[in-house]
Amino acid sequence: MLFAILAVAVIMTLNFFQNPVRNFFYLVSAPIHKTLWGAGERVSDFFETIAEFKNLKKENEDLKLKINSLLAENAQLIELKNENKILKTALNLGLQEEFKLTLAQVIGKDISQDSLLINKGAKDGLTKNLPVITEQKNLVGRISEVYNDFSKVMLISSKDSSFNAKVSEQEIFGVVKGKGGLDLFIDRVPQDKELKVGDILVTSVLGGIFPKGLLVGEIREIKKSDLEPFQQAEISSFFDIGKLGNLFVITPS
Amino acid sequence: MTKVILLVLIFYILALAQASFLVHFQIFGMVLNVSLILVVLINIFESPQKYLGLHGSLISGFFLDIFSTRPFGFWILIFFLVAIFIKLIFRKYVRIPFIART
Repeated sequence: MLFAILAVAVIMTLNFFQNPVRNFFYLVSAPIHKTLWGAGERVSDFFETIAEFKNLKKENEDLKLKINSLLAENAQLIELKNENKILKTALNLGLQEEFKLTLAQVIGKDISQDSLLINKGAKDGLTKNLPVITEQKNLVGRISEVYNDFSKVMLISSKDSSFNAKVSEQEIFGVVKGKGGLDLFIDRVPQDKELKVGDILVTSVLGGIFPKGLLVGEIREIKKSDLEPFQQAEISSFFDIGKLGNLFVITPS
Repeated sequence: MTKVILLVLIFYILALAQASFLVHFQIFGMVLNVSLILVVLINIFESPQKYLGLHGSLISGFFLDIFSTRPFGFWILIFFLVAIFIKLIFRKYVRIPFIART
């Protein structure tokens, strides 16, 4: 009985001094405590890994699927970002106000035939002969064939392409023709008109194929002969076929 | 006295291991209480007339209380009651042939 009372008294006393007592033991035990804690963590991790082995395989497969899905999503977002950038450029140039545009992506190129394949077709309201331009208002060509979901674009450098153009801010008119192999030239320019290298050519309203004011290219080389009734000039187009990714089709408003 | 000192050392190490090492190995949310197991074993296999088991219960309870967040005396009380209970049962109702009754 006496022992029990003594024990209770000691315990009660220890409760009053528990903080210094515990602190002393924690301090003394800290190095061993730390070591054992680390060892416990490692051993427990090891056993957990073994226990989780089956789940890990499934989780790994799930994560791989998720990564693939995220990569696809990421690619789509990059695509949208580029599209957004192009649309912004077009918007800055006021293209949307001037024309009704349909954004299309180039999905195929046939340089030998001077043609492109785009991912918009009859379903998107495209028809034959609609003009195709870049976001910088550079004339690329016109639609030559329309399928349900795709269209073929005949570049202005195609041998079958010819349209009226004029020198920008001057009353010099001519006919721009394709030579094939991504080359084009301007013909039917009267001899009395003075062409200069570097002159910018834009579409004119005369031909009726393209709206006026679209950029065609700049004069690279002038071919003038007194024997010919008209003068000709080689043209460098403003677009780079290698960099064509997104285009606009001008649709009737 | 030597036995008591030995018990102090053993129970200190066990309490330390309990608080730092064994807490990582939970079975159904519970941690194995090795101090309690040892207290029970000592009290079972010790002669009912000896007091080492009771001393052990107080010592192990004290060290577990040191490393626990419960009020001081919680484990001491539990272990001591367990030891008393075992002693009582063994003294009155159980006889193990190889443990001498003195």
